[in-house]
Amino acid sequence: MSTLAPDTRIACHECDLLLSRPEISGDQVVYCPRCGSRLISSHPNSVERSLALAIAGLILLLPANLFPVLSLEVLGRHQQQTIFSSAMALYEDSLPLVSLCILLFAILVPCTKFLLLAYLSLALHLRRRWPGLPLAMRALHHLDEWSMLEVYLISVLVSVVKLVDIAEVHPGLGLYSLGALILITALSSSQMDEDLFWHQIDDLSSATGNTAGKGVRHE
Amino acid sequence: MNNWRHSALAQGLIRCHDCGALWPLQQEHTHCPRCQAMLHARTPDSLKRTWALLLTATLLLLPANLLPIMRVTTLGQGEPSTIFGGVLQLAHHGLWGIAFVVLAASILIPVGKIIALCALLLAIQRGWTTNMQQKMVMFRVVHWIGRWSMLDIFVVGILVALVQFGNLAYIDGQAGAIAFAGVVIFTMLAAGTLDTRLIWDRHLQENPRGS
Repeated sequence: MSTLAPDTRIACHECDLLLSRPEISGDQVVYCPRCGSRLISSHPNSVERSLALAIAGLILLLPANLFPVLSLEVLGRHQQQTIFSSAMALYEDSLPLVSLCILLFAILVPCTKFLLLAYLSLALHLRRRWPGLPLAMRALHHLDEWSMLEVYLISVLVSVVKLVDIAEVHPGLGLYSLGALILITALSSSQMDEDLFWHQIDDLSSATGNTAGKGVRHE
Repeated sequence: MNNWRHSALAQGLIRCHDCGALWPLQQEHTHCPRCQAMLHARTPDSLKRTWALLLTATLLLLPANLLPIMRVTTLGQGEPSTIFGGVLQLAHHGLWGIAFVVLAASILIPVGKIIALCALLLAIQRGWTTNMQQKMVMFRVVHWIGRWSMLDIFVVGILVALVQFGNLAYIDGQAGAIAFAGVVIFTMLAAGTLDTRLIWDRHLQENPRGS
């Protein structure tokens, strides 16, 4: 590990404008004055709110995946569908790559994101220097756009419209859980302050003898 | 502020792509001391990679739209359905709203995305330095909207899982779905490898006083 400290200023990730770090407190969003991108969005108790939302998300993942999202009734015959079964159906149709898309974007990525967020926010809340915190932050950053639960929900609605002429379609408990899960996902990405998380990780590592960058931000 | 000298790189600083920490330029091509990501002043080979990914996506657009993405078999009669066929079918049933959503997600967005990213790449390479704010808005829209094209893939998955009534009616997935999933993934990757700071670098060097 290096003992170098990073520069205390910030740079815009979209246009590279160099700025001195503004004073941040409470509910504030910092936009780049040159290109208008969102640089920092700060919220009070970001760590605790993220932890609560991550736990809620992990709990909701269970009914969203275990209970049927839709069930179909044709001449007294029932057919149910969960997120996982929609992936497996394509695997059985010898389209394993498409099946992998559903498996990744609608189950594994959302699940991993909540696990990472729970791990990170719990470590920061308890002020423990658990292993792999920077790696978890990077993974969370890169996985962000590949979680497509809300797209899946709209697909369910499109499927209902397509099927409603042919048969009786019943929404299942999975569908409502999916709706709640999407709400939690949206809230958790808006409440998580990446900049604050990085600074708290820095503080943790410098507290244990490593001086990789002094944190400028505190809650 | 609207000056190249105000960019971090011009001041001899590199922003870590993953954690946002600023490091001196001499540390380029080493690992970020904070998060261990490789440090680059600008995304390496950003333009080449984006062109390559866009070309792949464009080529895949053909099989994605020409091959059927699923086949509906009712009472032994199989009927292959392409993406556009699905839209027409919805419109035929008078479901204009949903037909438009599917048309937008499956055809307008992927094609529009490829055109928009090509325009941004050309803007960087040809040095078109006007309308900077509009370019950034266009990029953000393209970046955000890309994932919605996965809609049709999920619909195929749901229908295949639900409609399995043996000889009465069943739906199975077809090869067009692979190509279409490829279009979506490659355009998303292309938007990810395009470094928007390149759009600004040229503009700021050519217009030292104001945008």
